[in-house]
Amino acid sequence: MIELKDIHVTFNKDTPLETKALRGVDLAVPKGEFLTVIGSNGAGKSTSLNVMAGIAPVLQGSLRVGQNDMTNWPVQKRARSISRVFQDPKMGTCEDLTILENFALAYGRTTPRGFKFAVDPSIRLSVAERLSLLKLGLEDRLDDKVGLLSGGQRQAVSLLMATTGDTQVLLLDEHTAALDPKTADFVLQITNSIVRELKLTAVMVTHSMAQALNTGDRTIMFHQGKIIFDVAGAERDKMTVEDLLHLFKREQGEELADDSLLLG
Amino acid sequence: MSLYEILGTLETGFIFGLVALGAYLTFKILDFPDLTVEGSFPLGAAVCAALIVQGGWNPWAATGFAAVVGFGAGYVTAYLNVRFNILHILAGILVSISLYSINLRIMGGPNEPLLNVKTVFTAFEDLGYPGYMINPVFLGIVVIAIKLALDAFLATGWGMSMRAAGANPAMAEANGINVGKMKLYGVGLANALTALAGALFAQIFGAADAYMGIGVIIVGLASVIVGMSILPSRTIFLATTACILGAILYRLAVAVALNADFLGLYASDVQLVTAVLVMLALIGQQSGSSLFKILKKGTKND
Repeated sequence: MIELKDIHVTFNKDTPLETKALRGVDLAVPKGEFLTVIGSNGAGKSTSLNVMAGIAPVLQGSLRVGQNDMTNWPVQKRARSISRVFQDPKMGTCEDLTILENFALAYGRTTPRGFKFAVDPSIRLSVAERLSLLKLGLEDRLDDKVGLLSGGQRQAVSLLMATTGDTQVLLLDEHTAALDPKTADFVLQITNSIVRELKLTAVMVTHSMAQALNTGDRTIMFHQGKIIFDVAGAERDKMTVEDLLHLFKREQGEELADDSLLLG
Repeated sequence: MSLYEILGTLETGFIFGLVALGAYLTFKILDFPDLTVEGSFPLGAAVCAALIVQGGWNPWAATGFAAVVGFGAGYVTAYLNVRFNILHILAGILVSISLYSINLRIMGGPNEPLLNVKTVFTAFEDLGYPGYMINPVFLGIVVIAIKLALDAFLATGWGMSMRAAGANPAMAEANGINVGKMKLYGVGLANALTALAGALFAQIFGAADAYMGIGVIIVGLASVIVGMSILPSRTIFLATTACILGAILYRLAVAVALNADFLGLYASDVQLVTAVLVMLALIGQQSGSSLFKILKKGTKND
């Protein structure tokens, strides 16, 4: 489904600030798999997600999604098959538009927009139906501006918006990191149920090792721009955060010096 | 003020209502401060006047064509920004000073009088209605029809995409919207409205002039700011209504200021009055308190 081949990304190339964010990443995510990605700050986990979304410039290598080589596709062209939930709840929705209008925009991602009115009774009905699954009462607030919602509500709305239409790939960029623990759990729960229900191929970047192991089917870890390990199946099921740390030490011969990975 | 003056103010108020709608589209919806209008307002006037006088065109066709040319001017500005990453304000200034020369070329001189030719306004006078009565009514109908069309457009899939492109570009892109394309069409549309205003202005006052664009951007902005501070704009419908209302009130305020003899203002002071009005409105908006309080606070800090 998603295939990264020998991807290299370098920021500020040929300047004193040159940073090699990704140094030859190979990754294949089969259809319907839920992959979680961890790594310390600057390890390359978010950059690899940005390569899939089309935001990070690829220096070398190729990206295939389904049948298409998307390496050089602009963001808006990829949006037909790839959708994204941002870390910042403010980023995923448009606060000056109403909940309904935001959904109308999201529907436009997979079906072409035109000079028809964006909001019609059938959209209103289907949005209300989807929102009622959240049990947040948002189905009664369709005409409220999104700016009036809390961060957790906005993130839940973003998630529903990102999974409308015939989305194939869902990218989650630390989408629970800006929420309080209770809300984060709630958003993670609905993430799980939506990904399973729609059989999506999903990639979730997270800063929490526990979250990475407890969510999805497979976990990879980035370190210094490379994937240093990749676990799935029974081996992953019995793994704990401590095992993960031992694995890191064995692979790298150094202690992991980023508390946020343990505490998250 | 006499009835005649009030009707005259209403006329120009409605015409600048179109400029205000354009300013709303660029500044508020697209978040693209566009200075092209300083050139596209006289461009609309010049194109329309030249086509009527030199080309012998039907005035309605000439007015429509002026709007199309205005769209082109806005498109060029947005293209400089989107394709070549030139700062939006600078792109607008570059296009508007180019238009100054282009307008002189189009008119073959600094102005083009519209005397003894058919304009869209003479059509009504031919029917026997006095111009000062019928013109404000006609302009009112035209401007309100355009406003309603703009409201409807902003509720379509395309219009919604334009609003998202201005409000949250990253989100718009992630939802498959070509943000650059939205800027091209949106800024083009805003300048089409401005050029249309220029064409109507030239026809009602009997001449197109190369200098008539000076301060148009500030008038447009002043109208938007005045309108929005009077009529809180929770919906697009209310916001565009506020723009037109603001334009009329702004013209009225200027007319009153210039009419008040005790103030000792001349007609040539109008730009200064406008600029001061906008400054005061912007300062008031930022602090969210009355001007009196701000001045008091200012002295306290000294």
